[in-house]
Amino acid sequence: MTAGKPYLVWPVVLFGALSVLSACATRPEAEKTRMAPLELEKPASAAPWVRYKGWPSEMWNEYSTLAVAVPSTLSDPIKFDGPITGDPKNGEKLAFDRSRGGGCVACHVMGNPIPPLPGNTGPDLSEYASWGRSDEFTFNYIYDHRKIKPDSMMQPWGAHKLYSANEIKDMVAFLKTQKSPAKFKDNLENPNTRPVPVETRDNFDPFLNEAMAAVEKGKGLFSKEGAGKKSCASCHTDPGSAFKAWAASMPKHEPRLNKVIGVEEFVTRHARATTGEEYLMQSGGNLALSIYLRFLANGQPINVNTASAEHKQAIKRGTALLNRKIGQLDMSCADCHTAERGANKWIRGQWLGEFRGQIDHFPTWRTSRSEIWDITKRLQWCNVSVRANELWPGAPEYGDIELTISALNNGMKLSVPGIRH
Amino acid sequence: MADEMKMRATLQGDVADVKVLMTHVMETGLRKDSKTEKFIPAHFIDHVVATLNGKTVLDAQWGIAVAKNPFINFKIKGAKPGDKIALNASDNLGTQYSGETTVAAK
Repeated sequence: MTAGKPYLVWPVVLFGALSVLSACATRPEAEKTRMAPLELEKPASAAPWVRYKGWPSEMWNEYSTLAVAVPSTLSDPIKFDGPITGDPKNGEKLAFDRSRGGGCVACHVMGNPIPPLPGNTGPDLSEYASWGRSDEFTFNYIYDHRKIKPDSMMQPWGAHKLYSANEIKDMVAFLKTQKSPAKFKDNLENPNTRPVPVETRDNFDPFLNEAMAAVEKGKGLFSKEGAGKKSCASCHTDPGSAFKAWAASMPKHEPRLNKVIGVEEFVTRHARATTGEEYLMQSGGNLALSIYLRFLANGQPINVNTASAEHKQAIKRGTALLNRKIGQLDMSCADCHTAERGANKWIRGQWLGEFRGQIDHFPTWRTSRSEIWDITKRLQWCNVSVRANELWPGAPEYGDIELTISALNNGMKLSVPGIRH
Repeated sequence: MADEMKMRATLQGDVADVKVLMTHVMETGLRKDSKTEKFIPAHFIDHVVATLNGKTVLDAQWGIAVAKNPFINFKIKGAKPGDKIALNASDNLGTQYSGETTVAAK
């Protein structure tokens, strides 16, 4: 057996490999308290990171990401003498246009007639003309609200170059035409009466949830031998009982990497250090094993540690990240997913949920995309949706956020793989 | 081989609604391996036969257009609870797959 040779490069891994060899077959009690062998040097995901095919290819380098906070440059309010003249027709077109950051109707009820499925995270503007706001105030609020109301979840449409000053003047002209209360065709069109979507599909039905195939794939990979003639099952002889609750306790702070890692990164690094198999994060094999390991813990309440010093710090960092305004749209996770702000409301036809309830079903099958998404990919998509560059899957920021959201979900029962739109 | 085929038959009136999920790579032979630049050999299910209590009720020839992990849904008239429905499939390399299910009462 030549497996010992490459291990000499990393003494930590050598130690890990030896402990596995001795632990195999019996795996005595004492072994369980020892740290699991992990490969610690190489990146756990494709490097350099390249955004997924089919996703928007635009880069938003001048705006904050979860890793880099770019100080926002507040623009000075622009002075106008007298009323603003603009083209209300063009203003209406821009307000309804979904292609440039969502348009006003994503968050506000407005227009006559109102376009389909308006959102309600912002105030109803259908009688804005009677609010008594000056044109100058309206213009500056749209251009860069942060000087007027910094805690708003509005976007700095002008300062972040989403609309030109002339376009915003047209929007002001359009808002001045909003004089009559909103009239909705039916309950569905009214965001205040629209029924809340409930996922009723049986996520464990293999005929409905394609991700159920990943459970079996993962089970197969678990007993697949690597180059050293060892499989996961060589040591973990009884996965059903060994992993009955493990996934529900993840993610955890890993002192050797000095960051929080979830099931996915653990699988990558532990497999490298033991069987030698390569399961890069976001690969099919990694997703299958991650789903299988969580599947074994299904029904267990999520139970991440919130008491240790490392975890307290990580949750503090994670909470700050959840509140950081990022991207060209200048939005934080908390803007959409806390009840005080946008949660339990609509952006256009999409319902915004609170943090609690967002993690028990990941990795999940997404019927709208015919793909399995783990929590990292979901967070990356959130980033891109607010026009912020996503981070690579193993980024420590995602670990902090996963732990913080999991802590908010403690007590909720794992149900993996989930199924969602 | 139960692992490769999942079957379910539910009765509505005297019509059995049969759903079958197969696990198969369904390689067309037209795809190239991105690393070796060589064609991946064709490997797909080309023949599917369904039987009700041993009598053939469906006989289909499949080609490379069928997607990976195929799903097939068909209805059989005149089925009763307890009837046995079997599906036999074979691929171009001669591997046989089979699954069986009993019609469940509604």
